[in-house]
Amino acid sequence: MANLNGRARRKNTYDAIVVGSGITGGIAAKELTEKGLKVLVLERGPMVRHLEDYPTATLDPWQTKYPQGQLPQAELAAHYPVQRRTGYTMTEHTQHFFVRDDEHPYTEENRFDWIRGYHVGGRSLTWGRQSYRHSPIDFEANAREGIAVDWPIRYEDLAPWYDHVERFIGVSGQAEGLPHFPDGQYQPPMELNCVEKAFKARSEARFPERRVTIGRTAHLTDPTEEQLSLGRTKCQYRNLCIRGCPFGAYYSSNSGGLIAAERTGNLVIRPNSIVTELIHDERKGRASGVRILDAETLKDEEFHADVIFLCASALNSAWIMMNSTSSRFPNGFGNASDQLGRNVMDHHLGVGASGEAPEFADTYFSGRRPNGIYVPRFRNLGDAATKRSDYLRGFGYQGGAGRATWERDRGKGGRGFGAARKAELSQPGAWTMGLGGFGEMLPYADNRVTLNRDVKDKFGLPTLTMNVTMRDNEMAMRRDMQSAAAEMLEAAGFKNVRGHDNGFAPGLGIHEMGTARMGRDPKTSVLNAHNQVHECKNVYVTDGAAMTSASCVNPSLTYMALTARAADHAVRARKRGEL
Amino acid sequence: MLNRRDALRGLALTVGAAATGWAGTAAATTALSWTPTALTPEQAQILDVVSELIIPATDTPGARAAGVPQFIDRAMANYCEKWQIDQLTAGFARMDADAKAAHGKLFVALAPEQQVAILNVYDRETAASTSGHFFPLLEDFVTVGYFTSEPGATMALKYDPVPGAYNGCVPLAEIGRAWATR
Repeated sequence: MANLNGRARRKNTYDAIVVGSGITGGIAAKELTEKGLKVLVLERGPMVRHLEDYPTATLDPWQTKYPQGQLPQAELAAHYPVQRRTGYTMTEHTQHFFVRDDEHPYTEENRFDWIRGYHVGGRSLTWGRQSYRHSPIDFEANAREGIAVDWPIRYEDLAPWYDHVERFIGVSGQAEGLPHFPDGQYQPPMELNCVEKAFKARSEARFPERRVTIGRTAHLTDPTEEQLSLGRTKCQYRNLCIRGCPFGAYYSSNSGGLIAAERTGNLVIRPNSIVTELIHDERKGRASGVRILDAETLKDEEFHADVIFLCASALNSAWIMMNSTSSRFPNGFGNASDQLGRNVMDHHLGVGASGEAPEFADTYFSGRRPNGIYVPRFRNLGDAATKRSDYLRGFGYQGGAGRATWERDRGKGGRGFGAARKAELSQPGAWTMGLGGFGEMLPYADNRVTLNRDVKDKFGLPTLTMNVTMRDNEMAMRRDMQSAAAEMLEAAGFKNVRGHDNGFAPGLGIHEMGTARMGRDPKTSVLNAHNQVHECKNVYVTDGAAMTSASCVNPSLTYMALTARAADHAVRARKRGEL
Repeated sequence: MLNRRDALRGLALTVGAAATGWAGTAAATTALSWTPTALTPEQAQILDVVSELIIPATDTPGARAAGVPQFIDRAMANYCEKWQIDQLTAGFARMDADAKAAHGKLFVALAPEQQVAILNVYDRETAASTSGHFFPLLEDFVTVGYFTSEPGATMALKYDPVPGAYNGCVPLAEIGRAWATR
């Protein structure tokens, strides 16, 4: 028996375990395997293989079961009451990349839009791909303003890892030379269209501090040898990214990190493996592995490793840690600070302005650019000119110009019908330009998720309870986000300029952060400067859970840079025998 | 303000059709080339005619050639909500009732000018308020069905599945038509 157990244990033993296969899990797998470690990636959902498992990627508009691929209301209401809240994720073309809410419930003490995909690649298949660096002022803000705790790192600590990740994933964009909006390693930028070019020229003439640039996006425009060798090639401008890209043109874990990791021969991916807890070895004072529930056989199993990377997404990494109680960690794994599950952040959006540009009626574009424009933060940059008295931090705008399609005036009636209407709709409609704000949300200790043992998911596992709300700072910022956008469009001479605030509930930014924050002091933070759990050094948490503050830029690139940096640290520490 | 029936009566006079009693047949229409699932054969005949009136064949195929009636029948069978089905079928019934009131014939038996005149009344009615009117719903299904069909997307509009490049500023005259997809 002892021998058998020993063999079973060896069979299930790796150098490192990575929990989750999404945007950070893929990078962890790549970095650790390339540095020679035998790595097991555990993914709670089913396998999605690049190319093979993108069933809708090449369907034409007429190849749908339902009108425009829209799912029937009854199906949405029964299975996707949360996932449908984005308005764009739940279609015939995308539903296989999102969870069924009825199988994965949670409790909303306050509305929280938790948009998720449980499968190999996770949300790296469906992300927005906007890739920005956090800036020096983002890492310093908490300390300067006395908010939450200080980041234990500064921009310079992460800069080389941003370089490293950008070179691997491939980011197209325009260098702008702004100190609060650091440039990176960019492939050629995508083009602005004629209305965006005019908007940039006119708005910048009036507001020079509000730079208008093309979005920095993880799409190849001039692939490197390394990217080509992985089977990736340049963007074909189909703009069907969310279905999975058969060209490997945008970065996903499936087309990038996992393929690079597989190529080393050091990778094992085990899908359908729900990690339920970290196993703590009291004797050695470290984590010895993880316990999983096999989603197909419903059997428990254990896997062991020297190094464990939690890359399960902010809320799920927190869930695993909260569910990992032991005599050493009665309140959750590494939770002496009581910060686990707290400080939940997102980016608040759904506010901005739009206007029309009738003077460009005889111009058009060709190709479908999967990218828009970006206006980097221009408030509270540390000088008197940009200082706001009504709120802290800032926001950026994402948006763009396009022409109305045949879908304009849908369902309104009174527009006539017949040959004239057909001819009218066969031509493009008005040029419209929109700006939508992405605002920084501050870390509040009582914006938190907690483990709920009363409500169980379909596997009988405990669930989360969300208690996250917007506060005065965010609401004051939103007013400015709306009026400053309208101001820019008006300055650029756009017609019918209209501001909007459609409201926002946390979660819908799909940028959950902060449940196991980094910090300098184990008494007030969960992770140290290398993303190690303060109280258990061989467990690293490198997804959004680690974020100490949110910045206002899209966070995935930062998660990836933190992951690559932590992987480097882990391999060195392991060699030194520290783990 | 005229009510709907007065409007239709006036319209009947305008087009010079006499109320000659119930025609009762769909003699003016061609036989359907497909078998409806959700609709009765009579409803499918009306849908076939009205779809083509909403998006007629011009220099590009119309709704009928694009299979729009089949698209809507399929939607009614596996996609629409009950209120939509009720509204559409009530709409078809109203079209026949109004045709009969004005001209004494079923909708499909009217001359195209008479049919258009009836639809114009509906379109005007919906200009002020859309709530509960079947016509915008029907028109929307026809429009969606048409512009997402292969003939609609590739001939009435311009479709390029793999553009390969993005050009941000091109004279509209060079493209000629609106792109089918965004």
